Amino acid sequence: MQADLEWLDDPEVFRVNQLPAHSDHAFYQTNAEITQTSSYVQSLNGIWQFSFAKTPAERPLNFYDPNFDASAFESITVPGHIELAGYGQIQYINTLYPWEGQVFRRPPYTLNADQLVSGLFSDAIDNTVGSYLKTFELTPAFQGKRTIIQFQGVEEALYVWLNGHFVGYAEDSFTPSEFDLTPFITTGKNTLAVRVYKRSTAAFIEDQDMFRFSGIFRDVNLLALPAVHIADLDLRPTVTTDWHTGNLAVTTKLSCAATTTTATLQLTVTDPAGTVIAQQTQPRANTVTFDPITVTDVQLWGPATPNLYQVTLTVLTANQHIMEVVPYQFGFRKVELRADKVIYVNNQRLIINGVNRHEWNAKTGRVLSIADMQADIQTMLANHINADRTCHYPDQLPWYTLCDQAGIYLMAENNLESHGSWQKLGAIEPSYNVPGDNPHWLAAVVDRARTNYELFKNHPAVIFWSLGNESYAGSDIAAMNRFYKTHDTSRLVHYEGVVHTPDLKDQISDVESRMYESPKNIAAYLDNDPQKPFIDCEYMHDMGNSLGGMQAYNDLIDRYPMYQGGFIWDFIDQALLVHDPISGHDVLRYGGDFDDRHSDYEFSGDGLLFADRTPKPAMQEVNYYYGLHN
Amino acid sequence: MGYTTNQLHVIYGDGALGVSGADFHYLFSYERGGLESLQIHGKEWLYRTPKPTFWRATTDNDRGNHFSEKSAQWLAANQFSPCTQVAVSIDGQLLPELPIAPLNNRYTNNETAAEVALTFTFSTNTVPSTPVTITYTVTGTGKIHVQVHFTGNAALPDLPALGLRLIMPTTATGFDYTGLAGETYPDRQAGAAHGTYHIDGLPVTPYLVPQDCGMHMATQQVTVTRDQTQNNADQARMPFALTFEQATHPFAFSCLPYTAEELENATHMEELPLPRRTVLTIYGAVRGVGGIDSWGADVDAQYHIPASQAIDFDFNISPKH
Repeated sequence: MQADLEWLDDPEVFRVNQLPAHSDHAFYQTNAEITQTSSYVQSLNGIWQFSFAKTPAERPLNFYDPNFDASAFESITVPGHIELAGYGQIQYINTLYPWEGQVFRRPPYTLNADQLVSGLFSDAIDNTVGSYLKTFELTPAFQGKRTIIQFQGVEEALYVWLNGHFVGYAEDSFTPSEFDLTPFITTGKNTLAVRVYKRSTAAFIEDQDMFRFSGIFRDVNLLALPAVHIADLDLRPTVTTDWHTGNLAVTTKLSCAATTTTATLQLTVTDPAGTVIAQQTQPRANTVTFDPITVTDVQLWGPATPNLYQVTLTVLTANQHIMEVVPYQFGFRKVELRADKVIYVNNQRLIINGVNRHEWNAKTGRVLSIADMQADIQTMLANHINADRTCHYPDQLPWYTLCDQAGIYLMAENNLESHGSWQKLGAIEPSYNVPGDNPHWLAAVVDRARTNYELFKNHPAVIFWSLGNESYAGSDIAAMNRFYKTHDTSRLVHYEGVVHTPDLKDQISDVESRMYESPKNIAAYLDNDPQKPFIDCEYMHDMGNSLGGMQAYNDLIDRYPMYQGGFIWDFIDQALLVHDPISGHDVLRYGGDFDDRHSDYEFSGDGLLFADRTPKPAMQEVNYYYGLHN
Repeated sequence: MGYTTNQLHVIYGDGALGVSGADFHYLFSYERGGLESLQIHGKEWLYRTPKPTFWRATTDNDRGNHFSEKSAQWLAANQFSPCTQVAVSIDGQLLPELPIAPLNNRYTNNETAAEVALTFTFSTNTVPSTPVTITYTVTGTGKIHVQVHFTGNAALPDLPALGLRLIMPTTATGFDYTGLAGETYPDRQAGAAHGTYHIDGLPVTPYLVPQDCGMHMATQQVTVTRDQTQNNADQARMPFALTFEQATHPFAFSCLPYTAEELENATHMEELPLPRRTVLTIYGAVRGVGGIDSWGADVDAQYHIPASQAIDFDFNISPKH
């Protein structure tokens, strides 16, 4: 198969040869590795060769050919943003598309045009291209094993070649893309070639309010798969209504190098103290379902008590040698929307003391370290923040585990935001809205829902799936809702944008969710025969010196059981640390400071933390009010 | 002469009224329209005469709901409101005219009084205008009771703030206050613990776009400490301090190296001038910061400052012995 540049123009091509999405479990060669680095993982992070082109027409054509002369290439650090490495121009823009006033562009298959637009992105003047080369040799643990490459995040469209062979294509910038390298890999030097386009049709549905970057911005790993490998793990812990008994259903999907390989799969379950409470063994099969496990005197998971049990799955050869070990921490908790139209978690009314959190670091943009994430968790815990809405894309994988461990509820958002297609100068104008009811955009958004679900389905912290943000509403988003409803009964579905299309309210979202609604209007909703509990998915816009008047929202909690709190917008200012030659200081810069136009200037400076992670003075108010209902 | 009787020494100048005691000397300037010199233990505390202040720098919420545009007159008033009248009272007796030559030719250098009061009337540079009076009442120990009265006019827009701004010649090394922790506003003070706090230096909260900051609500007293003067004959770097205390009610204050106008004009922190003075503003009324959104939602009505009604506040300046 050959790569086709025009995939950039086609909303129906968004994954080519990509492996199916699966649970985010780690896997190890031995038990001893569990607390360390898996020898089945080989990081490709570091310095890569790099060539930047302002347009697709200027890209180096056969750079993936092993005989290509790359001596003119420069170097770049992976993970990182191409813009912060000094190539493309940094731009911050909120609602409007980043090409506003530069390129006239409409999404394919809209405005009654039942066709693609040739060259929409593949022959564009504003589609920068990064051509990356990385040579590597497999570490010994990888020899003879199936080899997968995993890109954890690439903005925004990715083509991959290995040793001259086309491997695959992916969109969906904020979820992992995995490809099987086994057919093309050699035992000696391998040449990996990656092309990253800043824009594709995904740009229409990745219009998040943030700095616009491109490039390989999350980890890149090679994964070695043993002959029999746990490809997917599905943990379904439930709690009986006596609140003392837990039940666990465990299903795994295995992938195998050969159908004849014999192996057994051993399951061990331990309680939060580490005591073994169940063990089972099953023969290898494509799908292995273990017998249901009952847990007496179950210790529930919640913000005050983030009790985590652990399953450990061990794949054993016929000779009882370990091929693979998969540990996974999980929790028992029950999320219910009861007949009284109130959400309960573990038999208690849910009160969300939440924040929206963009991934941000003032020096590295959306390239975050574990230390950044741990610091954010500590800030949340120190201020009674019990919930995070990942806005508006799936976060780095470790974040979900950190929230499990800390007892932070998650509203796990899809990578979807299309406000440029329907929100114009503050008014609603959906004449070319996507995804809308558009059949050509349906598969892309349902795939995003599936990926988000498959990745994070085992995390107790996730109590809501969120269909995305500010993408209006139509039958495509209703289909995303249906996906979650048919796959997951243990969580609720959130979507705010259906507020604009009330006819779809019985098909989309379990909650009445609004943003920046006044306390008076919330009370009016709750006084007028409300059909769904109310959540502020975004409220208390903490831009600059703000966050006055939290009392009025706090009063709603005490007055209305169906008012279930909200998520402050937002956690951290998005601004970039830049050296100022005039003062000689490193200073924080925002939109428009890079000569970027159109820009929304300082509008992303709306965090409870300054961009350098120091708390704003308003945090003491959050600490106080959130502490009243924690 | 001795000061053991708690009598103030009053110096009837032609351009200013001097009031002094054992360790203080104040000058009330008829020309400059206010307290021109506040000298305590030989250290000068004022750079320019205190002025009524009507502006706090625009916050993002103010910008979003166009408050600053609607209330822009108060920015002009903040900068350009003249002092139109000066009245002097000695021991409770209002003098019919300013005591300058030839009226003061009858005095010596030995006049005393138990209490001296001066009222400076400012005429706000707004349409229509409304008077604001600042009354300084000095008693024998040197304590100054400062009273601010805003008359108000229903035809005027809401105020961002009402206060008295005192600019000190050099930067403070820090300040100590008894009041609420952190940066508080009328609609953002529930989470603040009451106590006594020390602040090092003159921190400006580094909002991405500089804006009003550093407000401290419900304050009983604030003590500003400096360690340098502009007096060429005084090169000592010894700390010296001055305390501003609640009179009838707690007050709000901010203590920053910048005026509201300087904050207003900067688009980034690094565009602010080099800190060289201390701007202490004592507020009788502060507008809330709001927070529902930053693109139109107003601050809750109870945290507005309508211009239709009178506002009064007072505090004491006390030289410590």
